[in-house]
Amino acid sequence: MLIKKFFDHISNWKMAWFGLIFLGSIINAVLQKSSLVGDSPYVSVFAFGAGALIGLVAKIRGAWL
Amino acid sequence: MRESPEIAAEFSFKKEKAIAKSFSQRFQWEMILIGLGQAVIWLSLWPLVLNGIIDLWVGFLIASLCACFAYLPSHEAQHGNYSRGNLKRRWLDGFVGHITLITLMYPYHLLRVTHMKHHAYTNDPEKDPDYLNAHTSSVLKVIKNVLDGSTVDFEKYLEVFSADKAFVNSFEKAIPMALLYRFILLVLVIIFPLETLLLWWLPAKIGTVYTTVFFSYFPHLGTSTGRYQNTRFWTHWMPRYLNHSMQLHFIHHLHPSIGHYDEPKAIEALKPFLVARQVPGADQIPDRVTHNPLIRT
Repeated sequence: MLIKKFFDHISNWKMAWFGLIFLGSIINAVLQKSSLVGDSPYVSVFAFGAGALIGLVAKIRGAWL
Repeated sequence: MRESPEIAAEFSFKKEKAIAKSFSQRFQWEMILIGLGQAVIWLSLWPLVLNGIIDLWVGFLIASLCACFAYLPSHEAQHGNYSRGNLKRRWLDGFVGHITLITLMYPYHLLRVTHMKHHAYTNDPEKDPDYLNAHTSSVLKVIKNVLDGSTVDFEKYLEVFSADKAFVNSFEKAIPMALLYRFILLVLVIIFPLETLLLWWLPAKIGTVYTTVFFSYFPHLGTSTGRYQNTRFWTHWMPRYLNHSMQLHFIHHLHPSIGHYDEPKAIEALKPFLVARQVPGADQIPDRVTHNPLIRT
């Protein structure tokens, strides 16, 4: 039952999770290398927030592009 | 197969099949070498890049090349062309099929069952899992669909073939592998974000776009249903060994057991049969198919 719930959740929210973890990590790594914002303490919050937002928009639209 | 009365006895399906069978015997060592070779090269890129021995951008280019070479060895495995019906060699199909697809992040079982359905129902809008790829308005649309993931709506086909036990079993076998790929990707991206992007995710996308455009879109573009109508001969500016000879994909749909590197010779031998059956473009097949160094002439 718990496993089914877990898989249902993954199936429904996979785009949002992918955005948060995958895109968030990529955006974070790119921004960390940037001389403009790399030193900002909020860079990770912004990066993972942006990733999550992109994922959420994709989930709502039902497509990435 | 029921024979059309207009086909002369010398071009019968029985004779066509006998010729095709003569090209379906050889051990496909080239494909095994390419499949396992690209996987080993791709895997070795990780320590090489992480230890700073090669630049990440160089790694990205090599990984993208590996990804473009990754599908075809698995495709031969999907048709059982390594074991050739020998049960003792069956492990080889699964082994090569699984290993070579790591670069593309696809489970072998999933691609095998959906590809078998593609052969059984080519160009059927409801049952052909590749239908959307071949019946799209432009290459750009195909690329967009592939990047979007909308051309691989595998769950739809689980519903379509829900009565086919073998299909459902293979599909279910593929789910843990698909989840494992996603899990590894998400763990790796947290630890090595840019390396994961440029050594795996982006190359896998590039490899999938390349495979879909050259294996699904061009060979089936504008074709209909029927054994001699569902695939076409076509031309491309690229030397054919760079696009895996997909201009010759027609012969693969006729006789999937012919080894990939034996297809040019098979086409030369079967040309009169194809002309007799008025296959579009068959009369333009050269008497000798060139530009394939792996075929002894």
